[in-house]
Amino acid sequence: MSNNKTDILNVVATKFGTKVQIQLGHLSTGTIIANNGLHRDVLKTMIDADEKTGITAITGLDLGANLGVYYHIRATNAFVTIKAEVPKENPKIQTIVDIHPGSLFHELEVADLLGVIFEGNPTSGHFVLSENWPEGIYPLRKDVKANQVKLVPTPASEKIKLPENERLVKIIIGPQHPALLEPEKFAVTVDGEIVTKVEPRIGYVHRGIEKATESRTYLQDVYLVERICGICNSIHACAFVEAVEKVGKIEIPPRAKYLRVIALELNRLHSHLLTLGHAGLEIGYETLFQYFWRDREPIMDLIELTSGNRVYSSLMTVGGVRRDIKESDIPTIKSVLEDLRGKLPFYRQIYENEPTLKLRMKNVGVLKREDALKLSVVGPVARGSGVDIDVRKDEPYEAYGEIPFKEIVYTEGDTWARMNVRMDEVEESINIIKYAIDHMPTGPFRIDVARSVPAGEAVNRVEAPRGELFYYVRSNGTDIPDRVKVRTPTFANIPSFLKTAIGESIADVPANFVSLDPCFSCTDR
Amino acid sequence: MIDFTLIFRILVFPGFTFILLLTLFCDWIERKIEARIQNRVGPMVAGPAGILQPLADFIKLLTKEDITPRDAKKTIFKFAPLVAFTIMVFAFCFLPIDGTSVFSTSGFSGDLIVILAFATVANFLLFLAGWASCNPYGTIGSARVLTQFLGYDIPLFLIALTPAFIAGSVQIASIASLQAGTFLPFIVLAPWAFVLFVITMQAELEKDPFDVPHSESELVGGLETEFTGAKLAFLHLTRDVQVVFGSALVVELFLGGPYGPVFFGPSWIWYTLWFVLKVIAVVLISEYITTVVARFRIDQVLSGNWRILLPAALLSLMLTVALVTWVYPLVM
Repeated sequence: MSNNKTDILNVVATKFGTKVQIQLGHLSTGTIIANNGLHRDVLKTMIDADEKTGITAITGLDLGANLGVYYHIRATNAFVTIKAEVPKENPKIQTIVDIHPGSLFHELEVADLLGVIFEGNPTSGHFVLSENWPEGIYPLRKDVKANQVKLVPTPASEKIKLPENERLVKIIIGPQHPALLEPEKFAVTVDGEIVTKVEPRIGYVHRGIEKATESRTYLQDVYLVERICGICNSIHACAFVEAVEKVGKIEIPPRAKYLRVIALELNRLHSHLLTLGHAGLEIGYETLFQYFWRDREPIMDLIELTSGNRVYSSLMTVGGVRRDIKESDIPTIKSVLEDLRGKLPFYRQIYENEPTLKLRMKNVGVLKREDALKLSVVGPVARGSGVDIDVRKDEPYEAYGEIPFKEIVYTEGDTWARMNVRMDEVEESINIIKYAIDHMPTGPFRIDVARSVPAGEAVNRVEAPRGELFYYVRSNGTDIPDRVKVRTPTFANIPSFLKTAIGESIADVPANFVSLDPCFSCTDR
Repeated sequence: MIDFTLIFRILVFPGFTFILLLTLFCDWIERKIEARIQNRVGPMVAGPAGILQPLADFIKLLTKEDITPRDAKKTIFKFAPLVAFTIMVFAFCFLPIDGTSVFSTSGFSGDLIVILAFATVANFLLFLAGWASCNPYGTIGSARVLTQFLGYDIPLFLIALTPAFIAGSVQIASIASLQAGTFLPFIVLAPWAFVLFVITMQAELEKDPFDVPHSESELVGGLETEFTGAKLAFLHLTRDVQVVFGSALVVELFLGGPYGPVFFGPSWIWYTLWFVLKVIAVVLISEYITTVVARFRIDQVLSGNWRILLPAALLSLMLTVALVTWVYPLVM
C-alpha cells in the first residue's frame, strides 16, 4: 500500500460505508465515530490493512449523560481517533484486548478512573488508584470533587501466602528497591533463578494531575504538566502547549519553533545519557555509570544556560518560549556539544567490545518485531526491535520537518540494541541542536495569546526521550481546560517488559527493565 | 610462666591489631583507587585524605540499632558474623608476616590446606548468616554465595597446589621462604598459575565480575539485607579481612611472602614493609579488575567455573608437575 495519510481512512470508508461517520482532518488525520461493537471491527480492519497500526491511548471523557471512550490509533503516517460513547448508567463497551493486546493497560486505566466497564477484559481490581479508594467513585467524572472522597480504611494486610509450589519464590521488586529509583511494584515469581511470572502494580505516585488540570488555567497547567516528569519536563510542557495551540489555531513564530527544538533535544541528550549510565549500574558496571553521569553534567549546565533552570526549564509557554538564547552563549553551547561528541567513540567502543557488558546485554530481554507491534511499544524500545516509529519523522512538529536527521533503528530487539539506539540518538541530537542553532530564523520568540481558548479538541504527539508522548486537550471556551489526557511512553512500554522478562534469569530483570528507560512518575501522573 | 611476647604477638603485632589496621588501610586504598578510576574523589573527610573513613564507618555501624528479625534463626543469625570474623583472623595468624607467623613458628606441614579450609568455613558461616535471616533476598544471596564458593573452591585448591609442588612442601612458611632463597618468586616460575589464582581469588572474594551474591540491583543487600548495627559491622569487617587475606595468600604463594632485601636494622621491620607493599600491589590489581568490568550473571559465573577455570586449573597443575619433574632440575 502507498503511504498516503488518508489511505487508512479510505479503507475504513470503503468497508463500512455509512455505518461509521468519518471526519477527515479532525484530530490529526481524522476521526471515525463508531459506537460499541463497531469500534472493534473498525480497529480490526485497520490492523489488517496496516501492520504498523498500534494503539497510542484510550481517552475516557465525561460528556454529561454519556461517557466518551476515544481510541487513539496510530498507523503508518496517519493518526486516527475512533470515538465511541456509552451511557453513564450502563457504561459497558466491548474490550479490544483480544484484537490488540497492547491496549490492556489503557483499558484498565480508563476503567479505574472513569468506571467504564470493558466487557471481556480479563483483569479486575484497582490499577492506578490505591486499595483504599472507595468503590463506585470514579475521579475523572465531573461530579466527583476531591474533598468529598472518603477513603475507606485499608484492609488488614493478609498473612502472606506462600506460592502453592514449594519451588517457587516470590521476589517483590519495589515499591522500594535499589534497582527502581521510583516507587512501583513488580512481584516476580522465580523458579530457582528463572522468572516465571511478573505481576505489576502501578499507581504508587498517582497524583491525579489529569484531574488537577481541570481546575487550573491553561497557563498554570503548563507548569503543572511540566511536573509530570522531572527528566523530560520540557517535552511534557511542549506537548501540552502545542495541543493548546492546535485547539486555539495559534501559529507560533518560526524562531520559537527552533528554540523549542533546542530545548527538547537538550532534554533528550541528558535523559539518554542518564539511562546509558544507569544501565551500567544495573549490570554492576559502576565505572561506566560514573563516566556517563560525569558527561551528563555539562548538558545540565547547558539547560541552565539556555533556560535559567537546571532541571525544570519552564521554557515553554502558549505562543512560543519564554526566553531567547543569547548570541554570546552560542560558542559555549557548541563547544560543550563537540566535547560530548568527542567522547562518544569511547563509549561506543565499550558497548561494542567490552565482553562482560555484552554478556549481560546481548540476547537479554529480546522483544521480537511482531511482539513490539502487538504490544504497541514506542520510542527506543520499538526502534530497537526494528519498528521504525519516531514522531519527529512520522508527524513532524515544531521545526523537525526542516531539520535533517537519521531515524535510528536496530533489529536485534535486545537490551543491547535498545541502549545502542539511545547511543546513536545522542549523536543525532547533537547534530539537530547544531543545525538548529546555525539555521535559526530571526524574529520574535513568542506572541501574545488570549487566556481563553476557543471550544474544541486536539490531539498532539511528540517524541519524548522514552518514546511517543501523547496529549489530548479539550476546551470548553473558557480559560480552564475541560479535559487533559496524558499518555506517557513508559505506560506503553511496561507491557513489553512483562513479556520479555519471563523465561529469563532474575539477574537479567534489572538490565532488561532499565533498557525501557522506565519513568514511573510519568507512568502514574 | 606467662609468655608475654606471645600475648603481644597475638594481640598487637603482628596479630589482631595489626591485621585489623591493615584491613582498614586496604579498605581505604580500595575505595580511593576505585573512586579515582571512576572519576570521583572517594573518602575525603575523616582523617588526612579520608584515611580514617573505614574506621569511622565501622564505629558508626557499631552505634546503630541492632535488630533481629522475628522470623530469623536467632542463634546462628547473631553469632555467625562474629565467628566468621574470628576464623578469618585466626587463619591470618598462620601467614608469615614479619618473617614468621603470629605464633613465632614456621607452622606445620599442611597448614596451607588448613587455612584454605578455614577460609571455606568462614564463607560457609556467611552463607549460614544470610540463610538464618529468613529473608527472600538474604536467602537467594546466601544460596549464591554457596553455589559460588562450592564451585570456585576446587580450582582455588588446585591452583594453590602449584606453588606447593614447586616448593615441594605444603607448609606456607617454607613455600614463602623458598622463593626468597633457593627459587625465584613463583610469579616468575609459574605466571599462568598466578593469573589463574588472582582470577579465582576474585571469584572467591565475590568481587566484580563475580560479585553476584551482592548484586544490589537484583537482591537489595544480598545476604546482608536483614543485618544491622554491630552484626553488619562484623559482616563488613569479615569481607574486608577476607579481601586482605586473599591478597596476603597471593603474596605468600607467588610473590615471595614477606621476604625481601634487608638494608639495615632489624629484619622484621623490612619484612613487614615488604609484606604490606606486596599486599597493596595485589589489592590494586584486584581493584583494577573490579572497576573495568561488568558483573556476570550467576549461570555465567558457574559455567565459567566448570567449563574454563576447572580445566585450566587441572592443566596448570599437570604443567607444573611436568616442569617440576623434568625442567626445573635442569635449570636450577
